[in-house]
Amino acid sequence: MDATDHILVVDDDADIRSLLTEYLHRQGLRVSVAADARQMRAVLAAGRIDLIVLDLMLPGEDGLSLCRDLRSRDVDPIPVLMLTARNEESDRILGLEMGADDYLTKPFAARELLARIRAILRRARMLPPNLRAKESADGLAFGDWRLDTKARHLLDAQGTMVALTGAEYRLLRVLLDHPQRVLSRDQLLELTQGREGDVFDRSIDLLISRLRQRLHDEARESRYIKTVRNEGYVLSADVRPIELAR
Amino acid sequence: MSRRAGSLLARAWPKSLIGRIASILFLALVAAHALTLLWLLGGRAELGRSIMFDYIGPDVASAIATLDRLPPSERVDWLPRLARPNYRYRLAEPPTAAIDSSALGRKIVESLSQAIGPSRVVAVQMAGERYAPNARVVHLRLADGSPVALELWPVDVGISMATAGVVLAQFALFATAAWYCVKLATRPLTLLAEAADALDPDRPAAALAESGPIEVSRAARAFNAMQQRISVHLAERAHILAAVSHDLQTPITRMRLRADLLDDGELRAKLLGDLAQMQALVEEGIAYARSAHAGLEEPRRVDLQALLDGLVCDYVDAGGAVTLLATTMPALTTRPQSLRRLTQNLIDNAIKFAGAAEVTVVETSEGIEIVVRDRGPGIPEEQHRAVLQPFHRLEDSRNRTSGGTGLGLAIADQLARALGGKLNLAEREGGGLEVSLLLPRA
Repeated sequence: MDATDHILVVDDDADIRSLLTEYLHRQGLRVSVAADARQMRAVLAAGRIDLIVLDLMLPGEDGLSLCRDLRSRDVDPIPVLMLTARNEESDRILGLEMGADDYLTKPFAARELLARIRAILRRARMLPPNLRAKESADGLAFGDWRLDTKARHLLDAQGTMVALTGAEYRLLRVLLDHPQRVLSRDQLLELTQGREGDVFDRSIDLLISRLRQRLHDEARESRYIKTVRNEGYVLSADVRPIELAR
Repeated sequence: MSRRAGSLLARAWPKSLIGRIASILFLALVAAHALTLLWLLGGRAELGRSIMFDYIGPDVASAIATLDRLPPSERVDWLPRLARPNYRYRLAEPPTAAIDSSALGRKIVESLSQAIGPSRVVAVQMAGERYAPNARVVHLRLADGSPVALELWPVDVGISMATAGVVLAQFALFATAAWYCVKLATRPLTLLAEAADALDPDRPAAALAESGPIEVSRAARAFNAMQQRISVHLAERAHILAAVSHDLQTPITRMRLRADLLDDGELRAKLLGDLAQMQALVEEGIAYARSAHAGLEEPRRVDLQALLDGLVCDYVDAGGAVTLLATTMPALTTRPQSLRRLTQNLIDNAIKFAGAAEVTVVETSEGIEIVVRDRGPGIPEEQHRAVLQPFHRLEDSRNRTSGGTGLGLAIADQLARALGGKLNLAEREGGGLEVSLLLPRA
């Protein structure tokens, strides 16, 4: 991976800023920090940033509105990993209007943060800009299904909610972002979990079979996720961004 | 009064305040009215009697004079013509027994003696079986000495159909008025009870209208103030818990990162263990505070199979011994976040005490039941209710070492209520605990 990836950590807690800097630095990443919106804009103006780790609760302008701002302004938007605390406010937002590429709940393991950062960076690089869902879209439609990309669950043709676990969502999202393209197990592992797989890693196959179950998709005559022998998996449906009525 | 009659009365005694006051009012009005009616009827009978005594003397005198002048053979034919609505004549033998010596009897004798002379009046007798009921027979003597009996009976001063109708109409009026008055008086009480029933700390309560009569508006004001205090209290409690839990998250996050930066593997593992415990406490504190507002989550149609399977898969991925037994489940309308959190708590509880959990879904006539079973030590039956209270801990050394926060089941119970369901604890056959969540069928 690119050792000069530049991460911007935005958090109002000085200790967390320095701890994250130290850890990410050890992992070979370049790290800048900002304590609030003003400092963040200054860092962004000063140079190229590859990913922003953004705390949701910031004094003054909060992470959510900053995230929206970043999305609406940039031609080539910088990926955002949102850090949230467990409370009612963040729950409400998570369910409704999270515009970040991913989120992580505090307290988190440093390794988990690193894995998510890597997965997002890979996804961002792999995805041609024209395929990125428009900001106004909050869902993806394919076949009989709709994926709510903000609340992170599936809706069937009748509008019944089909819950997805975090890992299931990430995998489905990667597949939907690359329709009609064969993705290998290693690629899927990297894009969803930010880690390299080994030959014995069956976790992607397990997740695929679970996703098929959620989509009521049969492995033998699958409509959506097809197995390509010795290569990987492909999403064989047309995907289009939609706006979900709320 | 016999015991039986007493119990009968107790059973007839209405249970509601409305019923009681209305029946007291109604019965009192009916009794007062009946008394008046009886008094009037009695007076009317008295009046009738005195009028009768005024004309019976001359009338009997003229009848006797007529009979005196008729030859004995023609007398029988004349008797019907001499009869009046309340008396008639018979040619009869003199009496033998049962002389009436009552005031009325004496009065009859006196009145007739004045009209036709004492010598013609023989005796007054209570009439026997052959006569009208309550009738009296006065034995008289004609000028030629032959006996004549005058049979008198009381005029029926009974109540006509019209009178009865009027009386019934009055009773109906009493009953309606009594019912309406009492309803009017007790309506505020009913409203108060309804408001108290509807008191739900999760929702902004509708205030009682503080209008109406003085007593009513005062009670409504007091109730509204109490309601206000309760909701402030509950909100404060949840707020403190949430605030403390929330503020602990930042230091825990820092410590978690510091531990991750440590090179000492053993120390790091221990620290991470402690931090995980602290974090569990914090999360439960927040979850408890939040569960009070679970009713605000929008209900929606949910694929139960996907929800439970995903939940169980997460545990399995993390190395937990959790199995989902049911494979087909209905879709239902519920609050998915709350349901997930609730089921998670039940599974966490099972894993904590038994190391493993079984999840299954049963469709019953009452609804859909999500059951979480374990093979742990179980909970003694007398504690089943108490463990649903926040911060309740079983006095069991196992519990203390397992680091339970005492909130898991309390949260589950609160969420169950927010879902319109019911949480039930039971001993599992063969040992262990079985917690079931009964959800209404949507």
